[in-house]
Amino acid sequence: MWRGFLSLLKKDFQLMWSSKFLLLAFGSLVLYSCYINFLYVNLDQDIYPVYLYDPLSVQQELSADIVRVDSLEELNTKSGDGYAVGIDMSSGTPQVTMVSSNIQKTDNYRAAYALSLLSPSNQTVSEITGKDNKEMKSRREITCEFLFFELAAVGFLGIASMLFKEKQMGVVRIHGVLPISKTAFMLSKLSLFLLSDLVFSTFLTVINLGALEGLLVLPYVLAQTAILSLIMALVGFFCAVQLPDFKQFSLLYLVLAVFITTPVFLVGQTGIAWSWITYHPMYHLFMAMKNAYRGMPSANGVYYTICGLTIILLFLLVRQALIREMAKEG
Amino acid sequence: MIAVENLVFAYRQQIQTLHGLTFSVAPGEIFGFLGPNGSGKSTTQKILTGILSGYDGIVRLFGKPINGRQKELQEKIGVLFEFPYLYTNLSALDNLNYFASFYPAEQRRSIDELLDMLEFKKDFVHKPVSSYSKGMRQRISMARALQSNPKLLFLDEPTSGLDPQGAVLFRKIIEEERKKGTTVFLTTHNMMDADLLCDRVAFIADGEIKVIDTPKKLKEKNSNHQVEIDYLYQRKRHMTVIEMPRLRAGISFPYDEIISIHSKEPTLEDIFIQYTGRGLL
Repeated sequence: MWRGFLSLLKKDFQLMWSSKFLLLAFGSLVLYSCYINFLYVNLDQDIYPVYLYDPLSVQQELSADIVRVDSLEELNTKSGDGYAVGIDMSSGTPQVTMVSSNIQKTDNYRAAYALSLLSPSNQTVSEITGKDNKEMKSRREITCEFLFFELAAVGFLGIASMLFKEKQMGVVRIHGVLPISKTAFMLSKLSLFLLSDLVFSTFLTVINLGALEGLLVLPYVLAQTAILSLIMALVGFFCAVQLPDFKQFSLLYLVLAVFITTPVFLVGQTGIAWSWITYHPMYHLFMAMKNAYRGMPSANGVYYTICGLTIILLFLLVRQALIREMAKEG
Repeated sequence: MIAVENLVFAYRQQIQTLHGLTFSVAPGEIFGFLGPNGSGKSTTQKILTGILSGYDGIVRLFGKPINGRQKELQEKIGVLFEFPYLYTNLSALDNLNYFASFYPAEQRRSIDELLDMLEFKKDFVHKPVSSYSKGMRQRISMARALQSNPKLLFLDEPTSGLDPQGAVLFRKIIEEERKKGTTVFLTTHNMMDADLLCDRVAFIADGEIKVIDTPKKLKEKNSNHQVEIDYLYQRKRHMTVIEMPRLRAGISFPYDEIISIHSKEPTLEDIFIQYTGRGLL
């Protein structure tokens, strides 16, 4: 069964190389790392700007984070971006004005924060526990998002484009008459993409979290990378075998990217809460990756069992589809 | 070498593609399998090469059933597809080395010898296949089919895409393979290939074999036993067709000079149409 497996690996590597996939992965690594290190962590992430209109000068004590305005019109203009918060003190008591973010919890939080700035001396100082500062938290979150995107979208596209190329050349059918198992044909591609994803994941994590923090979370991150990489590569493999051309695949890719991963990012990274998201498999994969970046493995054995079964089922499904593809007319 | 008994296959339950084919191919024989598109010849070849399963009937290769022994059998067969399927990003040498790696080392033929035999241009050996003409790609495909030193060779339209010189070379190579004892299962539309190469041919149409025989016997059986005579008489050229038995009594009409005498044998294509009621394309 394994005679020629090294040749399969070598040939797949050559195809991967000629398709510029590795260059794309390297480019992504550089781009993501530059964005994280030179832009994202340096972004002024001040919390909601707060504006105060107080014509009667009722408010004597003010936080430095509040900006006074001279008219009600100015207050409405400045707090009308769906982010800033306005406080109208013209009646003597504070009235919060703002454009709703359409998330009630966020709006309540914005209002509470703005009102808290009216009495800065009463603010309690929180006790800081742990070493995770704001920058490291940002690094973990954004690195996790980029890695998830890279594995879910780019890896999926990579294996599919390689297989479409082979289908176009007709060589997939030749493997039907060669004394090699279909399993070896699949494993060669999967192992190559898995290896490439693991290397990518290692570099992305160590570069952006730093050597010490990166190496601490790396085992968990690599475990999640392996799961996500295999699932996405198998889905990409299946789509490429089933669909006749790359055009149809692109359409499917768009649907997957927009309708499947977007809700996961929204729920995972913002305050949006959709109860149905717990039925979304990608949500669990994303949350497991987030936990991995916090150095927490998904302790739930059910999660690993379901992932393992999914990989086995997808593998069998792809194998059947591949056998059918090999038997197609020339 | 190949024994097929009552082979039935359906891609879907309602649509039966093969309706009980029965034929056999002897070791060292070149067997032509002729039929129009959609007749079931590709399906038969896919079953014989182990690509398709789920058929009814008995199929034996090398005296053993093929079910469950596909890998073992695939080591002993060589398959040339109608189209030259190759990795276009790789060179001829890389392609051949890659495909050879799946066969036991002691079984493999020298790539240099194969390329020489196929008169492949040496300076293209290291260039990517994407820069080759169709004829060159077909030569590399033939080398791929032969490199495992197969005992049984399946050829699908081997001379398609070749210039006349290339077609002659391919026929010569197929003959040489047969002389070495290789059995050849030839699927083709090309009646010239079938006529020149095949020991026996089978005509398949609508999933049924209509007739199996040698091309010579088929022609004899279906001949109308006439000869066409071209001759000169009184400085004018004439042509006449007469029944062969009349020749025994000599040429009975007046003539000055006989230019040519040809037997009016039907072509394989004529016979094919006669048996199947349709043409090959």
